[in-house]
Amino acid sequence: MIGVDNISKYIEGKTILHNVSFQLNKGEILGLLGPNGAGKTTLMRIINRITSPSKGHITYDGKILKEQHLVNIGYLPEERGLYKTMTVEKQIIFLARLRGLNKIDAEKQLNYWLEKFDIKDWRNRRIEELSKGMAQKVQFIATIVHEPEVLILDEPFSGFDPINIELIRKELLSLKKKGHSIIISTHNMNSVEEICDKAILIHEGVKLLEGDIQTLREDNSKDLFKISFKGNMLSFANALWAGYEIIDKEENNDNHFAVYLKMRQGNDINNLLNTVMEHVQITGIETVLPSMEEVFLNTINAQNTKEDE
Amino acid sequence: MNKSILIAIREINERFNNRFYKWLMIIGPLLILGLIYIFLSNTTASKEHWNVLIMDKEEILQTKLSATTPKNLSIDFINTFVDYEDFAYQEKFQKYDLAVSINEKIISNKHVIISYRERPPLNVQRELVYLVERRVEEIMVEEFTDLTLEEFRGIKQSLSFNLKDTYDPRNENSTTAGWVGFGFGLIIIVFVFMFGMTILRSVAKEKANRIVEVLLSSVKARQLLTGKLLGIGFSAIIQFVVWIVIIGAGLYLFRITFFPDIFSGEFVADELLNSEGTANISQSPFVELIYRQIQYVNMLIFFTFFFIGGYLFYGSFFAMIGASMGSESDGQQFVIPLTLLLLLALYSGYYTIYFPNSVLAQTLSFIPFTSPMTMMVKLANGFEVGTSWQLFASLIVLYLSALIMILLASRIYKNGLLRFNHRLRLKMLLKWTRK
Repeated sequence: MIGVDNISKYIEGKTILHNVSFQLNKGEILGLLGPNGAGKTTLMRIINRITSPSKGHITYDGKILKEQHLVNIGYLPEERGLYKTMTVEKQIIFLARLRGLNKIDAEKQLNYWLEKFDIKDWRNRRIEELSKGMAQKVQFIATIVHEPEVLILDEPFSGFDPINIELIRKELLSLKKKGHSIIISTHNMNSVEEICDKAILIHEGVKLLEGDIQTLREDNSKDLFKISFKGNMLSFANALWAGYEIIDKEENNDNHFAVYLKMRQGNDINNLLNTVMEHVQITGIETVLPSMEEVFLNTINAQNTKEDE
Repeated sequence: MNKSILIAIREINERFNNRFYKWLMIIGPLLILGLIYIFLSNTTASKEHWNVLIMDKEEILQTKLSATTPKNLSIDFINTFVDYEDFAYQEKFQKYDLAVSINEKIISNKHVIISYRERPPLNVQRELVYLVERRVEEIMVEEFTDLTLEEFRGIKQSLSFNLKDTYDPRNENSTTAGWVGFGFGLIIIVFVFMFGMTILRSVAKEKANRIVEVLLSSVKARQLLTGKLLGIGFSAIIQFVVWIVIIGAGLYLFRITFFPDIFSGEFVADELLNSEGTANISQSPFVELIYRQIQYVNMLIFFTFFFIGGYLFYGSFFAMIGASMGSESDGQQFVIPLTLLLLLALYSGYYTIYFPNSVLAQTLSFIPFTSPMTMMVKLANGFEVGTSWQLFASLIVLYLSALIMILLASRIYKNGLLRFNHRLRLKMLLKWTRK
């Protein structure tokens, strides 16, 4: 759907992006991750043809992205804005028409989305009369009103309460199901894990990681296991001896425990089970994958350490 | 629909919903009409009918002035002399507005005093002067010549003197006509400044509330700039047309209601025509200017062209500054030189009034910063045969410059729109024009 091919951007001698490439396929949600100042916004602006790259190019359905493709893209920038004195209705219709809809279709779409987001009573209110959350909804509707094939959303959940976050999340998943492709830039790693199929991590303009969420977590796994059992904690610890390192433990009621541990001296799950089965009653064992937040932090920290060295 | 047109329509709607714009549409022309009313009130008077007492102690005029008296005058004679105080306060004279004192030596000293309660307008003064002069003339012809009055008037030739510049003999009345042009140029400059600032504020507001990024993901910076210039420019034209209609209607109403006798000098003119007189009687210069001298059709056509050209040219500068401002107050430093340029344009118009054929005035009429003003002055003065090409050449230069400025402005617009919280520097602007 969207191909980002070796995009570089240099502004006044500073590297904002360097050889960033990735592919967004139909029906995929991609998380665009990175710390502040990593170059995410610049990259999204380049995809939207707001600024041009110094090097590289963007493709849409295999062809170089041109102005006519923009009607198939919806963009929600992080620093959102609306005309404060315009009414909800006029605002959405104006933006929909700029995205290529005719007036009749724009009105039809407007009615559908106002109903769906339960703000039809606010149709003739001016933006300045709306609450922040309500205005955020209007911005979101304005982004998707022309039903674009590709959505590019910068921090789509910021400013929303949990109920509306859930509403937006469901809507994004529903759009994905219908075959729309979505790029989400967010610092909310929980939502990345929940709704993204894959992610790329950019740091100082350079892509550090790319892959589907599960693979990224597995690749960053540190052989951490969680074993749950019923029995005596002391017997369990004594049985492990030097071949394992206990990282953490949780004590539940009625002698139920969960212990996080790492394998040492070449031990694996079978060795672990053989060692402790005689002493406690095992109720579960699983590999503990790092959260996306941990993946994010570990990768950035590792990169910073590398640069310091 | 073209995206620039969508942007333009939004701008127009925004102006129409703007309270200041709506008020200006009504208050602006009413203020101008108010000023015209004040001027006209000073050249005419509130009274429509004037009672005149002619104090002719020796009965020199033989209780007669003319066979036909103007409708706005009633004339009575008295063969005594009434001094100022008596005329002012005695009850029997209260019905008279004017007293004309014909002294016994009028034949030799040619001296007449008109005293008034309320200063009579120019046309009433002219009527009285004309009637008394003509009557004295009749008497003198009868008393001192053997000619009949018709014979005398047949040979009488009053001379018309005209002051002319030896270097520019054909350019008579240039100052009055030039001021008419200056008036039109002034409207261009005022509108350009007013709506230029509207462009600046509109761009700065879109930047400040960050909607510009959403817009730029749908339209090119150039389309956005063009739409904005078109929309605000169209609002300016609408505003101007409404002004013209209201002022035009107001002037017409003035003429038929408040100042019906504004041209009552026509009596004098008719009489002169009948009697083949040639005395040089003119209307009030202001009335002449408003109702007779301005060639509205010609001026308005070129006014429109120069207004649009000037607006696009200057508007690009305002848009450029608005787009490159780091904060809403940041661009003020660049508005000042632009305002000075507009003031320079005003001065160029003033200069052209007095030195229309100087090299500097010729040059200024081709420089796009000043040409809308200087060309309106020159147009009002009129072009000599074979020189009207200057008008069209100036228009071409103005429109080409406006086009170049729009292209240049759209570069700065594109580069500056998404830059926030910086301090605007000239160096920065120059760099953005090259990107």
